[in-house]
Amino acid sequence: MSEKSTARGSAPATGAAPGRPRKPRGSRVPVLPERAFRFSPRTLGVVIALFAIGYLVLAFQMPDYTAVQVPVQPATLPRWLGAVLLVLAVLLFFQRPQADGEPEAAPVAEAAESASGKSTDADADTDADPSADTAKGEARLGRFEDTRLEIGLFVAALAAYAALFEFLGFILATALYLGSMTWYLGYRRHLVNAVVAIALPFALYAGMTWGLDVALPTGLLPF
Amino acid sequence: MGMLDQLMYGFSIALTPENLLYVFIGVLAGTVIGILPGLGPMSAIALMIPIAYGMDPTSAIIMLAGVYYGAIFGGSTSSILLNAPGVAGTVATSFDGYPMALKGQAGKALAIAAISSFVGGTIGVVGLMAIAPSLASFAVSFGPTEYFALMVLGLTAVVSLGGRNLTKGLISAVVGVIIALVGIDSQTAITRFTFDRPELYEGVEFLIVALGVFALAEVLVMLSRRGKGGVRKSVTSLRLSRGELARITPPALRSSVLGFFTGVLPGAGATVASFLAYSAEKRIARDGKTFGQGNMKGVAAPEAANNAAAVGSFVPLMTLGVPGSGTTAILLGALMVLGVQPGPTMLTDDPGMFWGVVASMYLGTVVLLVLNLPLIPVFAKVLNTPRTMLLPLVVVFCVVGVYGLSFSVFDLGLLAAFGVIGFLMRRNDFPAAPLILGLILGGLMETNMRRALQISGGEWSVFVTEPISAGLLALAALSLLPSLVRALRRRPSAGTPAEVPAPADGPEEQAPTPRG
Amino acid sequence: MSLLTKTHVGPGTPGSGTFRRAPGFRAAAVAAALPLLLAACGGTDDGATGGTAEDGTWAPTQAIEITAPAATGGGWDTLARTSARLLEEEGLVDHSPQVVNKPGAGGAIGWGYIANNPGDPHKLFVTSPPILLVPMAGDSDYDHDNFTPIARLATDYMVYLVAADSDIETFADLAEQVESGALSVGGGSGPGSMDHVALAGALRAAGADATQANYIPFDGGGEALTSLLGGHVDAAVVGVGEALGMLESGDLRAVGVSSAERVDVVAEVPTLVEQDIDFTFDIWRGVMGPTDLTEPQIAYHETLFADLMETEAWKEESARLGWTDAYQDSEEFGAFLDDTRGEFAEILTEVGLQ
Repeated sequence: MSEKSTARGSAPATGAAPGRPRKPRGSRVPVLPERAFRFSPRTLGVVIALFAIGYLVLAFQMPDYTAVQVPVQPATLPRWLGAVLLVLAVLLFFQRPQADGEPEAAPVAEAAESASGKSTDADADTDADPSADTAKGEARLGRFEDTRLEIGLFVAALAAYAALFEFLGFILATALYLGSMTWYLGYRRHLVNAVVAIALPFALYAGMTWGLDVALPTGLLPF
Repeated sequence: MGMLDQLMYGFSIALTPENLLYVFIGVLAGTVIGILPGLGPMSAIALMIPIAYGMDPTSAIIMLAGVYYGAIFGGSTSSILLNAPGVAGTVATSFDGYPMALKGQAGKALAIAAISSFVGGTIGVVGLMAIAPSLASFAVSFGPTEYFALMVLGLTAVVSLGGRNLTKGLISAVVGVIIALVGIDSQTAITRFTFDRPELYEGVEFLIVALGVFALAEVLVMLSRRGKGGVRKSVTSLRLSRGELARITPPALRSSVLGFFTGVLPGAGATVASFLAYSAEKRIARDGKTFGQGNMKGVAAPEAANNAAAVGSFVPLMTLGVPGSGTTAILLGALMVLGVQPGPTMLTDDPGMFWGVVASMYLGTVVLLVLNLPLIPVFAKVLNTPRTMLLPLVVVFCVVGVYGLSFSVFDLGLLAAFGVIGFLMRRNDFPAAPLILGLILGGLMETNMRRALQISGGEWSVFVTEPISAGLLALAALSLLPSLVRALRRRPSAGTPAEVPAPADGPEEQAPTPRG
Repeated sequence: MSLLTKTHVGPGTPGSGTFRRAPGFRAAAVAAALPLLLAACGGTDDGATGGTAEDGTWAPTQAIEITAPAATGGGWDTLARTSARLLEEEGLVDHSPQVVNKPGAGGAIGWGYIANNPGDPHKLFVTSPPILLVPMAGDSDYDHDNFTPIARLATDYMVYLVAADSDIETFADLAEQVESGALSVGGGSGPGSMDHVALAGALRAAGADATQANYIPFDGGGEALTSLLGGHVDAAVVGVGEALGMLESGDLRAVGVSSAERVDVVAEVPTLVEQDIDFTFDIWRGVMGPTDLTEPQIAYHETLFADLMETEAWKEESARLGWTDAYQDSEEFGAFLDDTRGEFAEILTEVGLQ
C-alpha cells in the first residue's frame, strides 16, 4: 500500500482539523508526487477521531445558557456533531483502502516521467493539445526532488507573504512574493516576470485604493 | 394588458442612449469588481453609490442593476477559470465549471454561465412582474420552522455530492457544520469555539473557506503534480452546438424557477438557491454521476438559479418594503437616497418608478449577455498564463480578496490553513462540496431549528404539524431513499476495485469526458 | 433607516448575537468588505499631536480618517461615508476625509484599532448603541470610556409592532400578554443587544416581568418583520425605518414608538411616554475619537460636525435616511453615554443577562 511508504515519513497532518499543519520534515527520499500526503484510512481515522475527541471536550466545557430558558442549548448541536464525527472516524478506520479507488496506476506513469524531467503530458485528456506546456519550455514546477518539501516551501512562502502584508504594504509584499515565487517555480523569462511583478501590484493597488476607494495597506511606501 | 403597457412605459424611461451607456458602464464595472474574490454584488453596489448620487434616479438605478448582474457574472468567471469563486453565490458554479475549463472548455463554460444567467434573470423578471404581489404571501409563509425543513432538504444533498465514499462525504459535511458554529451564537450570545479571538466572534467567513479549499488547494495540487495535468488548454471557443443548447435548456429553466422562489425567501438567498439547484439537477439528470467532472448542466443549473434568486430577492423588497438579503438592503439604502421608497404601496403610488426599476433590471440582464459574450475569449486567455506564473497569481488574487473582505491578517492565516486542509482533503479523497454545503446550510439549520423551538416552547412536533415544513421534510426523506438503497446494495461489494473505475486523482480533478 | 445600524456577518456564521445583523446571510458574505488600513504602520505621527496654533485653536494637518467598525454597506459605513462625502462637498475640510472599514466582532476590532492610536486627532469613528452593549456583553476589550466623545448627530427609534388584526391595542396589552408567556416577540438582533434591550426596558417600565418575555432573535429586522407578517411570531420590535413600508400599507400595526415625542414619518403611532410608560430608546449615531485629544482638537471636531449638520445637504440626506437630528456636543454626549449605560445595565441585569 502506498501510504505505508509515505505516511510514516511525513509529519502527521491535521486532517480536517482547523489547525496549522506542520511542515513536512525529514526524509530526503523522493516521494512520488501523487503519493505525497496520502494517508491510509487508519491514519485518517485516528487523526479525525482525535480531532472529534478534542472538539467534544470543548463542547462539553461550554456553559449552558441560563438567563432565559431555551429548549436547545448552544452546546447541544456541537456535542452531537462531535459524537457523529467520532463514529464516522471509527467507520473510516475500518475501511479497506481500495474502496477509495486509489489512483494506483496513473501515479506510476507520472512519477517515471517527472523523474526523467521531461514534460510530455501524461493525461489522456490533454493529449489533444500537447504543445502548450512544452512550447514555452516550461520546466516542471519548483526545484525540490521531494514534493513534500515543495509544498512545505510554498505554504511557508504564503505564510511569509501574509505576515509581511501589512508591514511591507500591499505593493512591496506582493511584488516580492510574485516575482520570487514565479522565478522559483521555474519561469525563465525574467524580464516579463519583473514587469508583471511590479506592474500588477501597482495596477491592483491603484484600482482598489483610488478607483474604488478601498485602500490596501501602504506599509513602507509613502502612498 | 395594463401590465404590458406599464412595462413599455418603464422601458421608454429606461431606453435612452444615455441610460444604455450607464448600464454598459455598470455591467462592466460590476464584472470587474465581481471577478475579484471577496468583492461581490453588495460591495460593488456600495462602492458605486457615491457615483450614483449625482445622477438622475432612473439612470442611477439602471447603472446599479448593471453593477448587480455584472458582479454576479464576474464571480462565475473566476469560479470557472481559477476555481476561485469571486462571489458566494457562484461557489456551486466552480464544481463543474472548473473541470470544464480543465478540459479545455473554458469558453463554453463561460458561455453557458452567461446564457444561463440570462435565462435566470429573464425568468426572474417575468416572475417579478407577473406574480410579485401574490408572492408576498409565499415569502411570509416561511418562518423558522419552514426554513429549518428547507435547510434539512438542502443538506440531504450531501449524500449525492459526497462522491464515492459516503463516510468521507459525511465527515466533510460534519466538519463544514462545525466550522459554521464558530462564533457568537446568535440565539444566546454565547461564544462558541472562538478561543477568545475577537476575529472569530463573527464566525469564519464563508468565502475564506471556499477560496482555501477550492482555489488554494487547487494550486497546491497543481504544484504537487509538478506541472502535470490540469489546465493547459487554450481552447477558448465559446460556440455551443444546438445539441448542447438543448441539453442545458431544461436544467436552466427548472433551476431558474427554483432559484426565483428560493430568492423570494428572505432567509435563503442566491447561495442556497445555487446549491439547491445544483443538487436537484444532479439527482434528476440521467448523467448525474458525471456532475463534478465538468458536466455542462452542472454549470447551467447554479448560474440560472443564482441570477433568478437575485431577482427573486427583489420581491420582498418591492412588495413588503423588507430587504430580503444584504444586497437588497444596500439597494434599499441606495433607492431611498435616490428618493425612491420601495414597499407595498410602491406599485400603486408610483407605478412609473416600479416599472422603471423592473425594466432597468431587465436591461441589465440583456446588456450583460451582449457585453460579456464577446469578452469571454479574452477572459479565457487567463488560462494561457504559464503555470509557473499562474500559481503565484492565483495566490495573490485570493489574498487580495480575503484582505478586502475582512482587512485582517488573521484571516489570511485562516485562508492558508484552509488551503492546506483542502489540499489534504483532495489528496485523501474527501470531497470539498459537502464541507461547503454543511458550512452554508448547517448554521442556518441550527439557528432556525432553535428559533422554531423557542417559539413553540420546546415542542418538537411543530416540524411535522406545520404543513410546509412537513412536506419539505418528507421530500428530504424521499430524496434520501434511492441513495440509501444504493448504498446498502453496494456495501457487500464495496471493496472490489472493479466497482470503481479510478480516474487519476479524486473525483474533482481528472475528469473523464462526460457522456453525450 | 435602521438597516443602517447593522454589522454584516458571514454566512453560516452563527455569531454576532449581540449586534444587529444584515438581513440575508449570503450577501453579507459577499459583501463584507474593503476596509482600508491607511497609514496604520507609520507616517501618521507627524501631524498627530502638534498643530495647535498660537491662538489655541487646532486644525487638521492631513486628511481626517473616519473609521466604520463594520463592513461596507452597513449602518456605520453609511454614516461614515455620508459624513465624509458631505464634509468634502460642502467645503468644510481642506483634505478629503478617508473612510476606513474595520469590520469584525460587532465593532470590537475597529474600536481596538482606534484605541491603539491614542492622541491621534485625525482618527475618528462612527458609533451607536453597540459601543455600550457589546462591551457589556464582554465581547470587547474597550468600552466608551476608552474614547473621546465628539458629537452625537442623529437618532432613530424603535417601534413595537403587532399584526394588523391583532386584538392588542396598546403597549400595556402587549406587555400583559408577553408577560404571560403567551406571545413570542421577534427582534432583529441577538439577546442583550439593541432590540432586546428596547423590548425589555419598555416591558420593565410598563411594570411587566421582562424575564418572562419570549424574545426570538432574527438576523435583522427584515426577517423579524416577515416572520411577524407570516404569523410565526406574535409581535416584533424593530427600527422605525425598517417598518415604514409595512406601516404605510397597513399590514402591521404599531402599538408604540420609543421616542420622547411622536416621530414625523409615523405620526399616528403613540409614544410609550404618552401611554404612561416612562421609557425612551434612541438608536443614536455619533462620532468619537481616540483618548488623549486636547481641548482645541475636540473643539475643532465639535464645530466641524455642528457645521455639517447646519448644511442643507445634510438635512436632505438625513431626512431621506429617516434620521432625526439630535446633536449633542462632546460633553453632553459623554454624559448621555454614561447615563445610557447605567440604564442598559439595569435592564440587562433585570433580564438576567449581566
